[in-house]
Amino acid sequence: MANNVNLDAHGQELMRQYRELRPALEQLATQAYDQLRQALDEQGIYVTAIEHRVKTERSLAGKLELKGAKYKSIDDITDLVGLRIITFYTDEVDKVAVIAKRIFDIDWQDSVDKRKLHELDAFGYNSLHYICRLKTGGPRFELQMRTALQHVWSTMTHDTGYKGDVKIPREYLRQFSRLAGMMELIDDEFSRLRLVLADYRRQIQSLVKSGKLDEVPLSAGTFRSFLDLQPFDRLNKRIAAINQAEIYPVPLMPFLPVLESFGFETIGDVQRFIDEHSEDAYQLTVSQLAITDLDILSSSTALQNLCLVRVLKQGGGHEGLKAVFDTINGETPANAMLADMILEQAATLPFMSHN
Amino acid sequence: MIAILEGSLDTAAVPETEAAMSPLLDVAGKDIILDCTNLQYISSGGLRIFLGILKSAQAKGGQVYISGITNDVRAVFAMTGFINIFKFK
Repeated sequence: MANNVNLDAHGQELMRQYRELRPALEQLATQAYDQLRQALDEQGIYVTAIEHRVKTERSLAGKLELKGAKYKSIDDITDLVGLRIITFYTDEVDKVAVIAKRIFDIDWQDSVDKRKLHELDAFGYNSLHYICRLKTGGPRFELQMRTALQHVWSTMTHDTGYKGDVKIPREYLRQFSRLAGMMELIDDEFSRLRLVLADYRRQIQSLVKSGKLDEVPLSAGTFRSFLDLQPFDRLNKRIAAINQAEIYPVPLMPFLPVLESFGFETIGDVQRFIDEHSEDAYQLTVSQLAITDLDILSSSTALQNLCLVRVLKQGGGHEGLKAVFDTINGETPANAMLADMILEQAATLPFMSHN
Repeated sequence: MIAILEGSLDTAAVPETEAAMSPLLDVAGKDIILDCTNLQYISSGGLRIFLGILKSAQAKGGQVYISGITNDVRAVFAMTGFINIFKFK
């Protein structure tokens, strides 16, 4: 029993029931967590945290001391097992709620959508609380759903004693209310901004797919969308055919700074770069691989050699090549050796004679 | 964990090397260093061994570093684009 807690006979009986039930509660917490985690994964919903716990004996004793008479049996206490999902955005709270409704039985009589209470100073408490039961039956449990900012608010106000036993002067309550309003505004703005950005991404993807590449500024987001179209695939396959090689997929985003260093401003610039240099990049790769039996290549081979060829055709020479390797590999003295090797491999290729 | 490679990791040497390096696939949460100071040549099979170790290490929260690489071996890594995948010390 917890220290400094005096329970009457009824409270002690409830504690006895709790101890008897404890192993089943532990199992319930794990099962509910697993089911929720799996359902969220299946729906592709990423949350900042899912917490689950069984109420401690100390916490229950405190609760029973305060309001033990309210509960006839241990089954009337709905938060012996508690789960909390902390989402990034406000609209995700609703998505999680839909999932919870699908995988659990909800006790609507005891569930509360505190967001609809519209308390002026209660931002952090605006979470959605469902009292649930597994579809297979068993004790009820509480599921709290809130955003990360609501969680921060709850934690901070709890720490400051906002809901404590000391009556807080009106001027301080007002300051809490101001903060609550600000936090709610930030939460809503994050959600709004996410929608705006998602819309912007769709527009850019649409432009990329429709081939209006000169209207698409080169950035991390647009380059990623462009890569979804596998613009280097054709050259990679041609290169792979030299030694019947397999192509091992690797991220190409590290090449974005190289393309930016070339002064490319739009995805259209990148497409022209591919069109203009593919044949010469292929010839460079032939000169590298034809005398080897290397039959595994990374998917960066085409893009890497496109970059190297462009540097050579622009007269960038040793320093230009080294700068490309410095950008994609990090600066190291060995990059000078690689630059010399490329110069040697490219020396007799037709495009070099035009420089 | 350090593995020291010597000589030529050509096609013939791949099975033996793969077996010798297989314990590295069980390393969890630690960085692995492949010491290539005295490695004179690496074939596609050798690259596949390195790749397998890298994938296994990354899945378990570790990283793979290649140290002391010779110019000839570095050239192979550069030509195949694998130079962008591994970290070099």
